[in-house]
Order: sequence, then C-alpha cells, then structure tokens
Amino acid sequence: MMRTVMTTLGPWGPVFFGVGFLAPLLSTLMVEAGITPPLGLSTIQAGLIIGFIVGLQAKLRGRWL
Amino acid sequence: MNVNVTPPQAYANMSDKELAREEMTIARKYLNRFSWFMVFWCFANLACWFALWPLTIMGILPLWAAFPIATLNVILCYLPSHDAQHSNYAKNGSLRWFNELIGYISTIPLVLPFKVARITHMEHHTHTNDPELDPDYGVKADNWWQAIITGIKRRQPGQPNSYGATLQRLGDDPVVKRAGLEGLAQTLSFWGIISALAWSGYALEAALIWWLPRYIGSIYISLMLSWAPHFPNPERGRYRNTRHFESPLGNILVMGMEHHIVHHLHPGIPLTWNAAAYREMKPVLDARGCRSERLHG
Repeated sequence: MMRTVMTTLGPWGPVFFGVGFLAPLLSTLMVEAGITPPLGLSTIQAGLIIGFIVGLQAKLRGRWL
Repeated sequence: MNVNVTPPQAYANMSDKELAREEMTIARKYLNRFSWFMVFWCFANLACWFALWPLTIMGILPLWAAFPIATLNVILCYLPSHDAQHSNYAKNGSLRWFNELIGYISTIPLVLPFKVARITHMEHHTHTNDPELDPDYGVKADNWWQAIITGIKRRQPGQPNSYGATLQRLGDDPVVKRAGLEGLAQTLSFWGIISALAWSGYALEAALIWWLPRYIGSIYISLMLSWAPHFPNPERGRYRNTRHFESPLGNILVMGMEHHIVHHLHPGIPLTWNAAAYREMKPVLDARGCRSERLHG
C-alpha cells in the first residue's frame, strides 16, 4: 500500500515542491523586491504558476536546471 | 597513557601478525571511550540551530547572518550522529537510549533519518569503494570541484537514490523496513514543515535556515566525509580503501576527516581521539602501505 502510494506520488515530488514551497517563496521574493507580476496577477498567483511550471519541467526532464 | 617506544624503522621488518598486534595495542587505548565533547557538540549545535528560528522571526538576528550559521549547523550536525551509528556512546546497557537519542536528534537540521543512516553506513564500511555495494560510491570524482558538481547532479529529481537502493537490496528484514518507514516519515515531515512555514509568511526563514543550508551542507558533508577520505583513486582492501590526507583547510574545517583511516580500521574509536590514535599508529600504518596524501585537485 505504502509502496504503491510512494511509487505513484514520488515522481511528482518536484511539482509538489514547486507548488508547496517554491510558490510562496517566489511570492515573498517578489514582494521583497517590489516586483509587480504582469496581467494583474497577485504575487502568490504568479508564484504558483512559476512554481508549477518549474516543478513540472524538473519532473519531466529529471533535473532542475 | 603508555607511550609507544618501538622505533619506527622496526615496523618495516614486522610480520602481519606482529603489526596487527601493535595496531590493536594502540587501538585499545582509545576504543570504547565516552566522548563528552561529542555530546556537547550535538546539543550545542542543535540548540544554536533551533535558536535561529525565534531570533530571526522576532527580528533580533538578520537572515543574512542566520544563513551562514545555519549552514554551519547543518555541516556540523552529522558527526555526533555518526558516532551514534557506531554505538560509540553506549553499545548496550542503561545508556543505550542516550546513544539512540543523539543519533536521532543530532541530524534534525540535515533531515538524515538515523536508522537509514546507520544501515547504509554499515554497508559503506562493509563494502567500501565497491561500485555496486557501497552506497557512497556515487561521490566518486577526480577532484574536489568535480565532486561538488557530482553532488549537485546526484540531488536532481531524476537521479537514483543510492540509500533507497541499498534498503531495497537488503530486502524484507523488519529492521530495514522500519528504517525505510521512519525515513519516509521524517522526509515528508521536513517538506510539510517548510511548506507550512512558507505558506504562513516565513518562506525566507524556511529557505535560509533550513532548505538551502541543508542542500549546501549535505554536499559539503559528502565532499569531506565521503569523497576526500576515499577518492580520487578509490582502492579496495582494509588498509587501502581509506586514506590519511593533509588538508590546506586544516583538520577542523574538514571535520576531523584527515584521520578517517583510523575510523575505518577501528570504528569504535570516537572521532575525538582519531587524530591521537593516528599519530600513535602511523608507523604501523606506514608499514601496512596505507595511503597518506595531500588533499588536492
């Protein structure tokens, strides 16, 4: 059971990380740096979009950079 | 303490049996000692790291100052646990719980599950420098900066986890299964806590006191504890698989790893006395053909 859950969800770890941690971190960094996201997005919305995309590309490519 | 009075040149003519006896005579002086220093190291380092949280959140300490301190805390947190992995605080008896406590709590900043660390570290000792069976073999690199790049590459999401692979190889042993579950729980707790902190408005604190220091610290620990004593030129065999090395950074900045060969020969000697044991044992080790090199590259 546990192994099934981990083998299913484990590979999606970078996406969880992107949404769970990178998104609020990026939002905070944007606020601290005085950056206003485009298209009327709030900083947390922008953080979520960037965090999700960065996490997804890391999951698909197998590396962050 | 007894002083070794055998002239160094005499060791060259000794048989393997005589050398082994000399080595054990020296080792026994340091084996199974209780190191209060390592206990102090564990608790002082942990207290310092925990203190960074309220100090930064209350604005008493700026984050730019907390970040290098936290990184140092992560780097320093492994070695007290390492002695606990070898049961150097208490092999059994009424203080056994204390040994396990240090093993568990010391590496909280590093998020290294104690039981996983112990099992994989014992495999490292049993199969040092074996490309298939040594869980630390992945740090192999020709020089220190390539070892850092290798460390970064190994932590990418698509890379195999050598510790996970070791647990899988060891199979259905209940101790191994329990270690895997504990490891999973601790790792998920870490990601849960830093995510909760980030969503609660403490993203920078979570990033600069835990996430980034853990990343940098784990690479530094791999570099100094795995790469430097064993690589480059990984060899096999009791007296060749680990080297003594002289570091331009000094022994403290490489966390006492210059004398790591003593640890591999006699893991029951606490880190505190590895240097003293090495100095006394050096003529025996030279006669054995042990490697003594400079840390370069």
